[in-house]
Amino acid sequence: MTPSRKREKGLVRPYVVTDGRAHPTRNTFDLVTLVIAATDRPLSGLSPEELRMMRLCRPGALSVAEVAGHLALPVSVTKVLLGDLVDSGHIITRAPVPAAQLPDAQLLQEVLDGLRARL
Amino acid sequence: MTQQIPEVLFWCVVAALLTTAVLLLRQRGLTANAVKRNALLEGSLRARDEEARHLVEVRLPALANSMHQPVPVPGLLDERLTGTAYAQNLHRVMEQFAGAAEKAQARADQSAKSALKAAMRTLQGLANEQQLSISDMQDRHDHPDVLRDLLEIDHANSQFGRRAQAIAVLCGSWPGRQRAASPLTDVVRGAKSRIRDYRRVQVRTQIDVAVVSRAVEPVVLAVAELLDNAARHSQPNTTVEVNLQPAHNGACVVIDDAGVGMDGQEAQQAGTLLSGRRRVDINRLGDPPRFGFAVIGVLAQRYGFKVSVDTRSPYGGVRAVLFLPSALLTHVDLDEPALPAGSVPSVPSVAPARSVPVAQPEARPVPIAEPLPDHAPAGGRARAAQPSAPDRPATEPDSFADPDRFTDPDRFAEPPTRAHAHPQSESETAGGLPKRRRRRPVADPQASPAAGDRPADPPAERSVHETAQRMGAFARGTRSGRAAAHDDEGNPLS
Repeated sequence: MTPSRKREKGLVRPYVVTDGRAHPTRNTFDLVTLVIAATDRPLSGLSPEELRMMRLCRPGALSVAEVAGHLALPVSVTKVLLGDLVDSGHIITRAPVPAAQLPDAQLLQEVLDGLRARL
Repeated sequence: MTQQIPEVLFWCVVAALLTTAVLLLRQRGLTANAVKRNALLEGSLRARDEEARHLVEVRLPALANSMHQPVPVPGLLDERLTGTAYAQNLHRVMEQFAGAAEKAQARADQSAKSALKAAMRTLQGLANEQQLSISDMQDRHDHPDVLRDLLEIDHANSQFGRRAQAIAVLCGSWPGRQRAASPLTDVVRGAKSRIRDYRRVQVRTQIDVAVVSRAVEPVVLAVAELLDNAARHSQPNTTVEVNLQPAHNGACVVIDDAGVGMDGQEAQQAGTLLSGRRRVDINRLGDPPRFGFAVIGVLAQRYGFKVSVDTRSPYGGVRAVLFLPSALLTHVDLDEPALPAGSVPSVPSVAPARSVPVAQPEARPVPIAEPLPDHAPAGGRARAAQPSAPDRPATEPDSFADPDRFTDPDRFAEPPTRAHAHPQSESETAGGLPKRRRRRPVADPQASPAAGDRPADPPAERSVHETAQRMGAFARGTRSGRAAAHDDEGNPLS
């Protein structure tokens, strides 16, 4: 018998995972919000999915989308669980790294033209 | 001479009179006898008429009724007929009537079952299809309001699917979906997903046991029926508590409710249904029909687990115990990172109700739940000392007996976004720019150049004893499978 490596999908339904809730306690999550596990919190009393999240996030920051992917849960359900974990202090969120401001293409073109004219 | 004539005449007359008298007497006796005999025959005939009427009006209806409920069937009306050929013939009539009625009933039952089964299979298929599309929608839509509605639909659909599945099983069908081996906790929560009052169900403990693939769906269905019963027969403000307990040669799912409980007769009926020994007649499940225990009985019989409901829960209601023998248990190695050892209690906090001497792990034929050993097993294999590969091939025959797989965080390929969490000097170029780290390849002994260096790592050999046991089990299984004739749905032909 080869043990399965993947958790059976569809056995535990999402409403059991969130205990029937669909609204996250806070509306601060985005697909790319980074979540980091706090290491100083006790893990007792967490549901199996929350424990798996803590395990996933412990080694470093993960985005919400990645957490949802690893847990094979819908993103919206993941947000509900993450909201609970943030409330209990198990998880810290960090806004996504903003894309660097790209310099104006026209300005670059002018610099290039100026350099060519000079050399 | 002449005076002698009257004398002679006199004697003649006397003789004639005597003869007549004797004849008369005899005749009277004969007539009386005939009259008596006639009366007797008439009485006997009347008794037989009465008996035939009694048969038609009382005994046959009682016999017909006795098939639905236990009522006594009356015997002969007239004791005098006992043992006569007439009574024997009446008895044969009764027997033939009973046989014909039984046959007709069995045929009606069979056709009702096959019709119901076909209908329920269709509904089951639709419910599964709908569940897939609901899952898709849950993945696609991100709005909490939409999710809330989808969760409600999903919940209703799951209950609908379970009902169809239960009736189909009762009619002799398979439980349906084939699932991968799953942890017992997931199995119980899967069952929780399928009942109306799932929020009242609290799964208290988690144990590190999984249910083998073929038993996942039946156990989910059986536990769901038990949970549904528990929730249905208790106040809406009470909770239904589920405890998972490892046992000597298996594991138990203990379900406690704080409901009204069952009286002696109900418990006895439930016990009969749960044993699965009696053939279930779908026409006799009451109105409204109560499928729960009958379904569990069928599943328990077919898959070899045991369910009992004859104990009282500490909260006054019923304690239902589902016992899974170790043949239905296994150990799955889910592809998930592990927490540092000791940070999560994986052994139940509640002590088993019965204290049984726990056998040594080596003595067990099937690997079942054990608290994670802190020490390497005696005669530790060479692999334990090897530097751990990032991931192990899934086909390793003994991979679920490997104790260090839980405490080995290195074996999971790291997500790329975590690169910054591991500041390393080799991750930067000389100019100070970040260098892309190559992800370590997934372990593939054939592809890796180091594969040639590891010839001394054969798949762990089975002991002769274990091999013999497996072959024996296989042979026994084949024999028992052939012994019992089955139709295409797996029902024993009766």
